[in-house]
This record gives sequence, structure tokens and C-alpha cells, in this order.
Amino acid sequence: MNYTDAITGKNIVKKYKNFTLNQPQLHIPKGFTTALVGENGAGKSTLLNILSGVRLDYEGDITYFEGSESMKTEQVKERIGFTAPNDYFFSNWTIEQICQMYDVLYDNFHVQRFKDLIRELEIPVAFGREKTKRRGLFDRRKGSKQVNQLSDGNRIKLQLAGVLARDTDLLIMDEPASPLDPLMRDVLCDKIRSYMEEGDGERSVLLSTHNITDMENVTDYVCIMEQGSIIEQGFVPDLKEKYILVKGDAEQIPAVSGRLFDMTKNSYGFEGILLADHSEEVAGLGLSMETPSLSQICVAVMRNYRKSR
Amino acid sequence: MRISQTSGIPIYQQIADSFRQDILTGKFQEGEYLPSIRGLAKELKISVITTMKAYEQLQAEGLVTAVQGKGFYVNEQNREMLKEQHLRKVEESLLEAIRSGRLAGISDEELKNMLSELLLL
Repeated sequence: MNYTDAITGKNIVKKYKNFTLNQPQLHIPKGFTTALVGENGAGKSTLLNILSGVRLDYEGDITYFEGSESMKTEQVKERIGFTAPNDYFFSNWTIEQICQMYDVLYDNFHVQRFKDLIRELEIPVAFGREKTKRRGLFDRRKGSKQVNQLSDGNRIKLQLAGVLARDTDLLIMDEPASPLDPLMRDVLCDKIRSYMEEGDGERSVLLSTHNITDMENVTDYVCIMEQGSIIEQGFVPDLKEKYILVKGDAEQIPAVSGRLFDMTKNSYGFEGILLADHSEEVAGLGLSMETPSLSQICVAVMRNYRKSR
Repeated sequence: MRISQTSGIPIYQQIADSFRQDILTGKFQEGEYLPSIRGLAKELKISVITTMKAYEQLQAEGLVTAVQGKGFYVNEQNREMLKEQHLRKVEESLLEAIRSGRLAGISDEELKNMLSELLLL
């Protein structure tokens, strides 16, 4: 698969007392949605904070858009949108104030689009009528809600409305789906696909998620992270050819033991992941073979890494 | 186009099959562009890479051509040749069925009946 980089990283290192992020090479493909997967504390948020320019205290080189820009260039922040799982608005701000802040901060922010998104994402806020301009964008009589009056899900949606109301070329989202209900996760996926379509290959999305099953139908490229480094990555169809889901009966366990990349046994048999390169080793044993889900691949890779550590 | 997530047939394969049929039956005219990769992904609620893989397969089969920045257009098809190829495929499959039938001792009459019944499906 030929592709160019939306983000290119070299020797990215960030040291904490008990944890080190260390990513010698990083390539996030342009024109695709990349999912960053990994257990809690693997370093996903640290990496995303660095890539989005929130954290600047790291070593290494990062460039954007096929190497054309870095965080030092003026317009790069206009081209990147970032959402975080924690609050990044002041909690006593109203939605109206947030809208005004975005308008001041970014040249490419569209107030009307923000309002449309607020409606579409069903964020509870009362709008003033268009004609009564003196009441502003939001109807104060009905009250424009403050951030701290919103649920976790609505706070994330507010951030999404903020980034999607701007014209950007790269969205970096840290756990955008976690606080959302199933219906809104579906809306999120639709929004990502629309964003990609409007970009026609020029836009990219990088998101982290615990719930890869919900995001599988929007994910093109996966990076699996463990202990501060990406241990496996690739386009989804390629990974689905590399790893094979095998199942067998209890009697077959001795014959396959040690030949599988990952295996879980139960009283009646086993299920495991086989590397396609090693498939001839178990040929003729009569195992059933299937294409694994993205979630099954991620779990196997993470478990295999822990075992071999 | 109907996409099944549970049929066991990869989704990109289902998309490629559907477009192949549309091209061979002339629903897509020569020179016509297929829907954009990302537009189709949005419509079908699937990932970009899945539609891309489907289009790449059609390209490998010589049915479409990729144009940088414009998408995939339908090639001029040699319909007679394609039909011939498909006929040969059908013939092979039927021969295989006949061989299996003979092995199982099924009479020609029974086989013919079976085929007529299946054609009604």
C-alpha cells in the first residue's frame, strides 16, 4: 500500500519517573483513519498530547503533512484539531463563551457550523432565534449551559463540535468514543467518514480507543501500543491476512501447543491466533480457520507481548 | 448493494463482486467513474481501506483504471471475451457437480431435475 505521512516522527522520547515513551519511528498515514490501541498506561495519551502540540517537553522530531510543517510553523495549529478525554474548557464557561473563544482563537472556525453541530449532536442548549440578534447566539432566557452542567458525553460532544466546526486537515482525538452512548458512537463514526470524504484523501484522523469493536468500521490503520512503544501496526486488511483465528478440540491441544501466537483453552477446546507465516506447521491437524476481528488481533498481540516480556 | 458483516465473505470482496456485476451487465458505462472511495465508505458505513481494497481488486482484474486525484473509471470491456470467460467458469462448475453426482451414483435424470429445481430458486 502506497501512502504518504500525515505525521512523521523520529526518536520521540518522553521520560517520566516510572515510565518512558520511546518511539524511534512513527508514520501515521495520510488520507486514512488510524486507531491507537493499548492498555491503560501504555502511553497513548502521552503520545497524542505530544503529537497534538499540547505537550512540548519531549525529545525528538515530529513533522506534519508529508514533512511540510512542524509545531514551529505558524499555520500548523490551524490545520490540526484535538479533543481530549479530560476537560479542557473552564468549567464555569457557557457554551456561548466557548463558541466565542473558538471564533477568536481560530481563523477557520465557522460559527454557524458549530451551532448546527451542537444541534446535530444533541448537546442540550437553547438557541436564540436568528432574528433577535441582540440576544446573541444563544437564548440567555432559557440559559446557555455551563460546561460543568454537562455530562461527560456532552462535554466530549462539545469538543467534537468545536474541532469539526473548523477546517482542518488532521484530527487527533484521545478516546472520543468512551463516554458516548452507542447511538452517538455511530454518529461519531459517521462524522469521521464525512470528514474524510470532504478531505478527498487530504485529511487524516488519529484516534485512541479502548473499544476497537465499535470503531472497526471506521479504522483503516492500527497502531498497538504497549509500555511506551508501538509493538504492532498496519492496515487492517494486511493484519487480517497476517493473523489467522484458529479453533480446535481439546484433543488437538498437545499438537498445537507452542505453535500458536496466542491461545486460550477451555474445557472443550481452544481458540487461538496463528501467524499466517507459520500456517504450514499446523496443516493437516484439521483446525478450523477464520478471519479474526480487529479486537481479537489486538488482544492476541497484547497478550503475546506480555507473555514474552 | 447489500453488505453482510456476518456472511464470512470479506466486505471488500462483496463490494468488488457487486461492482463487477454492474460493470459486466453495463450498469456502469465505459469511461464512467465509480463512486469516490471515501464517498462510498461513508455511504456503506465502512472503512476507507475496505472500499480501496475492493477498487484495487477491480483494477487488478482490468475492469477499471485509477487516475491520480480523480478516482477509478470503467475500462472499455471486451464483453464477448468476458462472457466467454464466464461461460467457461460455469461449465467447469457444472462439470464438477456432475462428477460429484456420478461418484454418489445419482442418475442423469435426477441431476437434471435437481438443476431445474435449483434454477427456480
